[in-house]
Amino acid sequence: MRGWSFSRRDILKGSAAVAAGFYATPIKAQAPAPEAITPALVEAAKKEGKVIWYTSVDLPVAEKIAKTFEAKYPGVAPRVERSGAERVFQRIGQEYASRVYAVDVVNSSDAAHFIVWKRDGLLAPYMPEDVAKHYPAEHKDPDGMFATWRAWLSVIGYNTELVKAEDAPKSFADLLDPKWIGKIVKAHPGYSGTILTATFQMQRDLGWGYFEKLAKQKIMQVQSSADPPKKLSLGERAVMADGNEYNMFLLKESGRPVEIVYPAEGAPLIVGPNGIFKNAPNPNAARLFQNWMFTVEAQQLAIEIGGLRSVHALAKEKPGRKPLSEIKLMKDDPAAVEKQGEDIKARYTQLFRV
Amino acid sequence: MALVELRGLSKHYGSVAAVDNISLKVDHGLLVCLLGPSGCGKTTTLRLIAGFAEPSGGQIQVGDRIISSPERTLPPEQRNMSMIFQSYALWPHMTVAENVAYGLKLRKIDRGTIAKKLSAILATTKLAAFADRYPGELSGGQQQRVALARALIVEPETLLLDEPLSNLDANLREEMRFEVRRLHDAYRYTTVYVTHDQSEAMTTADLIAVMNGGKIEQAGSPEEIYNRPRSEFVARFIGSSNVVKGKTLDSSRISFAGAALRCDRSTLAAGGETAISIRQHDIRLLSAAPQSGENVVPAVVVRQVFLGGTRDYMVEAKDGTQLRVVAPAEQNIEQGASIWIHLPPEHCRALMG
Amino acid sequence: MAVLTQDAADRAPARSRPPDLSRIVIFAFAAILCLLIILPLSWLFIYSFADRAGHFTLGNFRQLVTDQSFVDPLVTTFILSTTVSVICCAVAAPIGWVVARTDMPARGFVRILVTASFVTPPFLGAIAWELLAAPNSGLLNNAYRAITGAPQDDHLFNIYSFPGLIFVISCYTFPYVFVLVANSLDRIPGDLEDASSILGGKTWATARRITIPLALPALLAGALVAFLQSMTLFGSPAILALPAGFHTMTTKIWSLFQYPPKPELAAAASLPLLLLTVILLRAEHKILGRRGFSVVGGKGAEPRLVRLKLWRWPALALCLFILLNPVFLPYGALLNATFSKVATQVVTLQNFTFHNLEFVFFELSATKVALKNTLILGAATATVCTTIALVISYVTARKAVVGHRALGFLATAPVAIPGIVLGVGLFLSYTRPPFILYGTLWILLIAFVTISLPAAYQQLQSAIRSVHPDLEDASRILGATRLQALRQITAPLLRTSVIATWCFVFVGVMRELSAAIMLFTSETKVISVLIFDLNESGDLAAISVLGLFMLIVTFATVVLVNRIPGFGGGIRLRNH
Repeated sequence: MRGWSFSRRDILKGSAAVAAGFYATPIKAQAPAPEAITPALVEAAKKEGKVIWYTSVDLPVAEKIAKTFEAKYPGVAPRVERSGAERVFQRIGQEYASRVYAVDVVNSSDAAHFIVWKRDGLLAPYMPEDVAKHYPAEHKDPDGMFATWRAWLSVIGYNTELVKAEDAPKSFADLLDPKWIGKIVKAHPGYSGTILTATFQMQRDLGWGYFEKLAKQKIMQVQSSADPPKKLSLGERAVMADGNEYNMFLLKESGRPVEIVYPAEGAPLIVGPNGIFKNAPNPNAARLFQNWMFTVEAQQLAIEIGGLRSVHALAKEKPGRKPLSEIKLMKDDPAAVEKQGEDIKARYTQLFRV
Repeated sequence: MALVELRGLSKHYGSVAAVDNISLKVDHGLLVCLLGPSGCGKTTTLRLIAGFAEPSGGQIQVGDRIISSPERTLPPEQRNMSMIFQSYALWPHMTVAENVAYGLKLRKIDRGTIAKKLSAILATTKLAAFADRYPGELSGGQQQRVALARALIVEPETLLLDEPLSNLDANLREEMRFEVRRLHDAYRYTTVYVTHDQSEAMTTADLIAVMNGGKIEQAGSPEEIYNRPRSEFVARFIGSSNVVKGKTLDSSRISFAGAALRCDRSTLAAGGETAISIRQHDIRLLSAAPQSGENVVPAVVVRQVFLGGTRDYMVEAKDGTQLRVVAPAEQNIEQGASIWIHLPPEHCRALMG
Repeated sequence: MAVLTQDAADRAPARSRPPDLSRIVIFAFAAILCLLIILPLSWLFIYSFADRAGHFTLGNFRQLVTDQSFVDPLVTTFILSTTVSVICCAVAAPIGWVVARTDMPARGFVRILVTASFVTPPFLGAIAWELLAAPNSGLLNNAYRAITGAPQDDHLFNIYSFPGLIFVISCYTFPYVFVLVANSLDRIPGDLEDASSILGGKTWATARRITIPLALPALLAGALVAFLQSMTLFGSPAILALPAGFHTMTTKIWSLFQYPPKPELAAAASLPLLLLTVILLRAEHKILGRRGFSVVGGKGAEPRLVRLKLWRWPALALCLFILLNPVFLPYGALLNATFSKVATQVVTLQNFTFHNLEFVFFELSATKVALKNTLILGAATATVCTTIALVISYVTARKAVVGHRALGFLATAPVAIPGIVLGVGLFLSYTRPPFILYGTLWILLIAFVTISLPAAYQQLQSAIRSVHPDLEDASRILGATRLQALRQITAPLLRTSVIATWCFVFVGVMRELSAAIMLFTSETKVISVLIFDLNESGDLAAISVLGLFMLIVTFATVVLVNRIPGFGGGIRLRNH
């Protein structure tokens, strides 16, 4: 409260300065020079010994990525601190307000957070080589504060043992059918950045009336966007209204009876940037980690074992998964999410009563 | 030399005065007994002397030091006293030897000296065989001796005893009374002994202070207290007495059951009421009316109990007053008989208030 | 006699004495106590009466009573607590009677099982019951469908519901009532019931007319405790209520810290909980007097056991059936999920896996930190809390300083502060100068010590009362200071109680969530928070592994500490 600096006015100011896109005109005159991974960096990172990564990506995925990094650079141990993106944001705010500098690198499924952090000068500029060379302009910050580490969709899904393919919902509108009452599981925008972003896009395209009707379907409310796929896998519910595409890929590919449905109205696109904090307690380890995360090797890993999508020019999509180019997407708009985030959460809470 | 003096000592708990303005002087080496019924304040007085409570008023002086006053009270550990508690308070997690040696260890005396003194006191209290036992394994009498040994080994200036014999059976109690006195004579400490048992007091004390309601009713030697009780309370409490009240007829007589009773004093104030006490065994039972009718009153035997060496009679005078009489066993008067009771004037003690 | 004179001279008042440390130590502890409790409470009050800009306002309270999203949880919580309280009494009283007053076989075993229920954190129990009774995937429901052939939509139990939440909370709250009832029944001398039998009262009549009325105060007190416990629980509602679509007061308060945080509203919402707790505690105190929990329950004469004859086995069956719910079924579900590829499928040779264990202990990077923090905090809290409780209870039992009554009150006061409220208060106190403790283990230590202090104090208090003051007086008159007497006489005699209290506090720290959830950071995470986090992303297998591990560590510590030679004693439930 006393040290809480993210007032709504700040946010409005921030987003006003940003144009329709997310990664807009640079604040500084010049982007930082691209940096490669040098032996000196590795040495310095080893001296620090660890790197703390706050992220909202599903835990097993995060831990696997962390372990691969550690295998490649022994002596630098990443510690994953996983929580829903909205909670990550709140915790970082709480910690910084009390001058607790625990976080090195952050990855959030709510891209709007990075607007705020950059605005408040909390991020450190660092341009990994790969980002400079292989990342499209719309997926990297010109001042080098952050870049899109992962992308994915929020999708509809169903359990194939409980629902026949022909009966499955094909669109968001289908979910309003009375036959799905009590059978739907859904995650919460107050906790999950994915869902906040998805909810924004859906209410923009479908209107709040859609959610009012959905609220009457007696849905099972969970927190994280990684949870609905898991609930489907357990057979706890037949259908999910939103949830991570990447979790669905992983479950399906490991033999679980789940199937993805890309909604006819368009699947909300979620972008998850990665950035380094200026007050990081392990700055060199942070840079090493950040740099490696954007290499094609790490990005491919994210695709393979994470089910995620990458914007790295050289990364290849995994066969068997529908390529992004063939899917109808809803457009993302982090600046607008930033502006309306609080209202969206409040309204959602009112409608769904939790 | 230790002289214990209480000056105007008071202790109030709220509005209740547990100890009410008592003064007492105990010369060095004397054994004084605080005697009284429960609730009379004797234990509170003892705890004030020990320093476990602070006085509300008055002072306690030992030697030339004032150790207790409302402003400043020396804590117990600095008073160089010893105490034996009614519950013995033996520490169950220490052996007999450790219990007894505790005080010396606190005084940081070297181990050799401790061992010597320990074996000496254990021999005196006949506890040498139990040195390595735990208190829980001892009988009541043995525990009491451990408490005694523990208190005496530190050679205190003052020894305080809080009803130390009340937990023992009757025979042991009698034996221990003499033991306590014997040890006192041997070590010559100043001893303050609290009890409600008058025979204990009579056996052991040099000075008895009879307490009632927080005050000292009478303080004096055992003979004084017994033979010349100054108040009705003391008379009833010490020895077995009857107390008879009557209108004062003149300077030496009161009226009782229609007759005149002469007492042992001639300083009575006429026109009031006086109480007379007479010991149960001083009253004579007569089957026939005597020639000299002084201090003779007709009565009826209400009850008679044979006690072996004596008979215990309850007789009732004309005015309904009941008196207890202890008579020789040979004098067997049956219940309901009409008799005469003779109250010899020299045994009728007039009481003050 | 020469020695005597010498000693007397040495003790002349002219020589200066070293200052009596007893006074200083006692005052220091009193100051610590004040700081622990008064500081967070004051900030709580200040915040509840302030608005965003820091000006005085009653607006927070106005919102509390007018906004439906606050009133609903309040009503829900009230109904929840009342129902739990009634159920706990209905369950605990017969079990308590049967264990304390009859000759039912395996009574000791039943007591152990109740201890196990007590040691299990309610949030872990809630998660385990998710595995069992989730309507479509739960193990029990699967079994039901398999046996009866019911259609997929049909289910026997739905844990994601208000009754489901009540059930789970009751499972882990009834031990409190049991302890109170069983202890009080333990103490009723057998003669009282003998008197009734001699006069012709049959077993049931005696029970109805003599035993039950005598145990009634304990039962009432137990009802109050159960009400309070369920009112202030955070973990179970957070896990089960959200999917079911409702809030309780504790989850509502927690949700107020979502971005953007509204600490003023959270503080205001905490006050009704605080007030209600204080009122109920006064009532409990009036009913029970000075008793409550006591560790060294010195049992007097053995109570007369009622012969159940043919009813012995049905009684045992009933007890075990009831204890299925907090112990056998949930532990079984956790064990199953640990080794199964799919958490809610029964382990078979095909789907047996060690992957979950691997994940938790080798891949999950937060495990080591959380384990380390939890053990450190558990041991530290237990030690600090026991020490403070020992000194304070000594001071109050022996009336050693002026104002000892106030000290005793302060030591019990935290009981009136629900865990999450304390978390809020501590957060508000220690995220600002001069003491910024947020982000360190210290703030968690303070929270845990404050929460555990009342129970520790009560246990040690009744233990000290059982040590006759004469024992200390005897050492003081021989020359020991108060502190020496406490150290050499009282403390050794209290060894069993001190150990039992230490274990009790240690166990309590393991299962504490409601304050920890407010105060942790990534470096200071504890296992309870880690489990809670994992539940939000649905990682049930990892939770099962961690949960079982936590239970094993807890039980092992208790057993170990009680077995170490010299410590002796046992944390028998009778001596709770």
